[in-house]
Order: sequence, then C-alpha cells, then structure tokens
Amino acid sequence: MLMEAGASASSIEELAETVARGLGADRVDLRIGYASLAVTIGCGNSGATLMRKVGPLGVNQQLDQRLWRLAGRVALRELTAEQTGAALARLPGETPNHPLWLKALSVGLACAAFGRLLGVDWAGGGAVFAAAAAGQYVRGKMLHRKMNPFLCTALVALLSSVLGGVFGAWAGTATLTTAAIASILLLVPGVPAVNVQSDILDGRPTLGSARAVTVVMHLIFIAAGLWIGRAFLTWWQLV
Amino acid sequence: MTLTFFLHQAACGAIAAAGFGVLFNVARRLLPWCAATGALALAARTCLLEVGWSLEAASFAAAVTVGAAVQLLRRRTGVFRDLLDVTGCIPMVPGSFAAKALIGLFALTTSKVANEQETLITATQYTLRVIVTIGAIGTGLAIPTYLVRRRQKA
Repeated sequence: MLMEAGASASSIEELAETVARGLGADRVDLRIGYASLAVTIGCGNSGATLMRKVGPLGVNQQLDQRLWRLAGRVALRELTAEQTGAALARLPGETPNHPLWLKALSVGLACAAFGRLLGVDWAGGGAVFAAAAAGQYVRGKMLHRKMNPFLCTALVALLSSVLGGVFGAWAGTATLTTAAIASILLLVPGVPAVNVQSDILDGRPTLGSARAVTVVMHLIFIAAGLWIGRAFLTWWQLV
Repeated sequence: MTLTFFLHQAACGAIAAAGFGVLFNVARRLLPWCAATGALALAARTCLLEVGWSLEAASFAAAVTVGAAVQLLRRRTGVFRDLLDVTGCIPMVPGSFAAKALIGLFALTTSKVANEQETLITATQYTLRVIVTIGAIGTGLAIPTYLVRRRQKA
C-alpha cells in the first residue's frame, strides 16, 4: 500500500519492520520489487514467507501518512494482528481524496506556473491552464477506468498539447510552442524520478532501475503524444 | 535581477508545488507548506542562476536547501516522511527539456531532417541536462535526509 502511495524503498522497509516487530516478530527480511513484495517474518524458531502483488503505483500523501500513524499504533502494541489487518483493509476507503475537478484545476494552475517559469507569456499561461486542466480531468477519468497508464499518458499528451496550441493561438500568444509543451508537464513523472535515486542510494539498485525504466517509458509516451500533437498543429498552420 | 522577477519566480514555484500537492493528495493543512517549499526552491535556484551558476548546480543547491528546511521544520509540519521536499522540488524537474530532447531524437528518425548534426547535438545536450539536473535534485534532497537519519540512529 505504501509502495502504491509513492514511497521510497527505505520508507517501505522501515514501515514493514515497525509493523512486524509491533506484532511480535523477532526478525523481518523484505525483498522489494517493482511489482511485488516478499517478506519473511521470523518469530522464535518458526518463520513464514509471504509474497504480495503491488498494485498500480501512484502518489498519495494522505494514505502514506495514515499508514505511518497506524504503524505507530502497532509499534506501541495498541492493536492485535487481526485489528491491524482490519484497519489496513479499511484504510484506502477511509482516506480522503481531493475531488477530480479540484485536482484538474490545481494541475492547470501548476502547469500555467511552470509555463511562466519557462517563459510563456500571460496569454499563453491562460491557454496552458485550460489545456492542462482538461488533460488532467481526462487522465483522471481514464485511470479510473483502469486504462493502461502508458497509453493514457500518450493520449493526454496529445490532447493537452493540441488544446494548448489551439487555445494559445486563439489567445494570441507569442510563445505557442512552449505553451504546448508546458500543457503536458502534468505527465512528467517527477516523484518516481526522484525515488529512483533514493532507492539506489538505499542499496536497492534493482528497484531503482525498474523505476528508471518506467520513468523513461513515460517520457517516451509523453514525447510520442506531443509529437503527434505538434504534427496536428503544424497541419493546421498554428506553429 | 529585479525584485519583481524574483517574486514572480518564487510565486510560480509556490503555485506549481501546491498544485502538484493537490494531485499527490497532500492534506489541505499541508498545502501551504508545499507552496512554501516550492517558493524556497525557486527562490534559491533563481538567486544562484543570477550569480552565474549553471542550472544543474543551482538545482542541486536549491534541493539541499529545501531538504534541510523540511528536516528542520519536520516537527512543526508533523509530516513523518519526505514528501514535502519532493513536492517542493517538482517545479525544478526539467520536464520541458525532457520533452524537447525526445522530440529532437524523434526528429532524427525521420528522413526529412534539416540540420541533422545540430538537431543531434541539441537533443543530446537536452538529454544530458535532464539526467544531470534530476540527478542533482535527487542527490541534493538525499543529503539532508541521510544526515538526519544517521544522527537519529547514532
């Protein structure tokens, strides 16, 4: 669950160890893979090894925080194994999530700010806001329907870059190409890119490499969408 | 550098970090902290770029600054893990360089490329700058975290 919330390997290991020791384990050995986790728990002379599939990776700070709070309670021996299991099962449903419209507007504003940092003029900033907000809304809907994340990335890159270009031309921006690029910055996998290094620094090069490959693949799909979007904008003689 | 430009960069960093904070489902009470870390990151980077540092070096120093600030403010924010510093550094991730690098590389695969050498050199430069800048941000964030962790373990 912590992996799905965007945590680094060291955080996952620390949390798993805190919970296991809080529930009475003597030793904990964890193998963290990109798509699965394997943990061996030792208690006295007996031990057990379990393997668990990891769901789609994302970033969810509130879930991360709640998992740490729960781990803290387990470490203080406030909860039994059964109570911990039940609390863990309830956690995703109980964790509040910002509504999609708010995420879309926030991401639109963030990309417009990015655009300004890249030198987009004010007219272009408005275009970036609208294009990125629309892109995030569509992305949220697609991911909710369990669409392949890479395909979703390419389609949103195409949509946002075309909208950024069209809205930018309509608004009369002088920085249309940069506005089209700024409209797709919501898709850049920043947190995984930073986690790559923390995982490798923590002595987990396999996980770090897997994350790096995923980051590169996302960037390729972003570029593919942007490339096709630019072709449309060129065809319509907007750039 | 004018004060207006400095404030503009810091404000854009704050808006970008807070906007991505909402996307990362950061709790509402922590969103101002996200904005503050984003503003700090861009303010530090802008100052260093103005005095002639390269983008990579400025991003590294700004990431160290944000990482250290988040570690110092940890008790006040009540955040257990390192999400504030990563969110604060998101506005420094060179996404546009990455997109331009890949577009340049894509362009080389087509048969009609004007200025092949120039396109290749530009795309390679962008690619290297993306790798080095992301590396600088990651390393800059890691240093304060590891120093604090080592101190806690000692």
